[in-house]
Amino acid sequence: MSSRTVPFSRGLAAAAFAVFAITAAAEVPEPQSYWMGPMHGEVPAALSGARVLHAPELAVLLAQGQAVLIDAAAAPRRPDNLAPEAIWKPVPHRDIAGSIWLPDLGAGQLTPDQDSFYRARLMALTANDLDRPIVFYCHPQCWASWNAAKRAIGYGYRRVAWYPDGAEGWQDAGHKLVAAAPEVPPQAGH
Amino acid sequence: MRRFFLAGVAAGVLLLAGAAVAQDDEAARAARWNDLAHEIFGAKPLQAGGAKIALEAPERAEDAALVPVTISVENPKEVKSLTLVIDDNPAPVAARVTFGPVGDPQSLKLRVRINQYTYMHAIEETKDGALYETHRFVKASGGCSAPSGSYDAQALAQIGQMKLRWLSKPQAGQARQAQLLIRHPNFNGMQKDEATQGYTPARFLKTVDVSLNGETVLHLDSDISLAADPAITFGVNRPDKGKLAITARDSDNAVFEQSFDLGTGGSG
Repeated sequence: MSSRTVPFSRGLAAAAFAVFAITAAAEVPEPQSYWMGPMHGEVPAALSGARVLHAPELAVLLAQGQAVLIDAAAAPRRPDNLAPEAIWKPVPHRDIAGSIWLPDLGAGQLTPDQDSFYRARLMALTANDLDRPIVFYCHPQCWASWNAAKRAIGYGYRRVAWYPDGAEGWQDAGHKLVAAAPEVPPQAGH
Repeated sequence: MRRFFLAGVAAGVLLLAGAAVAQDDEAARAARWNDLAHEIFGAKPLQAGGAKIALEAPERAEDAALVPVTISVENPKEVKSLTLVIDDNPAPVAARVTFGPVGDPQSLKLRVRINQYTYMHAIEETKDGALYETHRFVKASGGCSAPSGSYDAQALAQIGQMKLRWLSKPQAGQARQAQLLIRHPNFNGMQKDEATQGYTPARFLKTVDVSLNGETVLHLDSDISLAADPAITFGVNRPDKGKLAITARDSDNAVFEQSFDLGTGGSG
């Protein structure tokens, strides 16, 4: 028993620290418009017009079966000048079961083609219902889902939620992730 | 007593649930490492490193774009090369360092980017061709899309500038640890340019050669997993006098050279 209680209390200490870290990060102000900086970095605690979810609330919402779940994580890109013999082996992307993976939806700025593609994609996924809940996430400290959620609010969706803890947060909460394939606009190949 | 017992049971159940989830991932992670090891080292078997090789890294990295890693070996005289693999990075082979006659492999430090929670493997290749591995799990994510520090035009003008710092005093018969810093953004092609909202083209260090009075200390092969402004800490044998010469090459075929006079200590 003692061998179990020790790591468990360490786990509690780690969890307490994680909560503290999240609180400390809450000082990042919300940008007026889309975030144009690097996608990885401290994010605000909130998004005006959206509800912020953590794992327990997300689990409840997903169990209700109505929400559209969007993974806005970026997809890895092989540099052109990587040595031809270098091993390039991106890990198969894994995200929350039932997600639609729309990389680049969270970019600071979309091309008109990207914008119309994503707008149409969201319309299709929600069956043109602006009151369908949509949840956006990517990774912890990842602006892509913040931008994507803000974009959806701009498209007129009224029940937008943001899950800032990302796929890793979902995994840390004890849930499984599943393999995913990205949906990108036609001819958007980089 | 009863309360304690219940708490203990709850803890046990939680841990078991956690282990069950981890198990699925563990199988996938093991399979990926198996594939990777085969791609990197061919059919040659990897033996458990035991006390021969150690790998240190933070369990949870504060900055995924700048994760310090230390590889140390028990018998430096037997070691030919050290390889660092970050299993779940898109370009997993972070660095391979081959030591020359005046290089000391006892302790090697690098700073790397980590894209997502991953195992990291360090592999020692001995002079007689045996391979020993050790590994650890690191929780960090987003290091590949994080910006390369504050690389503006002014910073880029300093590209290739180097600093060398001796971390220990010279002592007869002992290797001396040196830290080499190379100013270089090591752009990996996955970072956004804030001005254009496009991706900054990849530009990264491919090789670093260090020699002491013409004798090889080490040769480093690398690409996009090294952190911006690469820092390498390594051991040098017999650093009594003369010059430590550094040559670095990047993916644009730029060559950066600098040498440090040992007489002046070369501290920066």
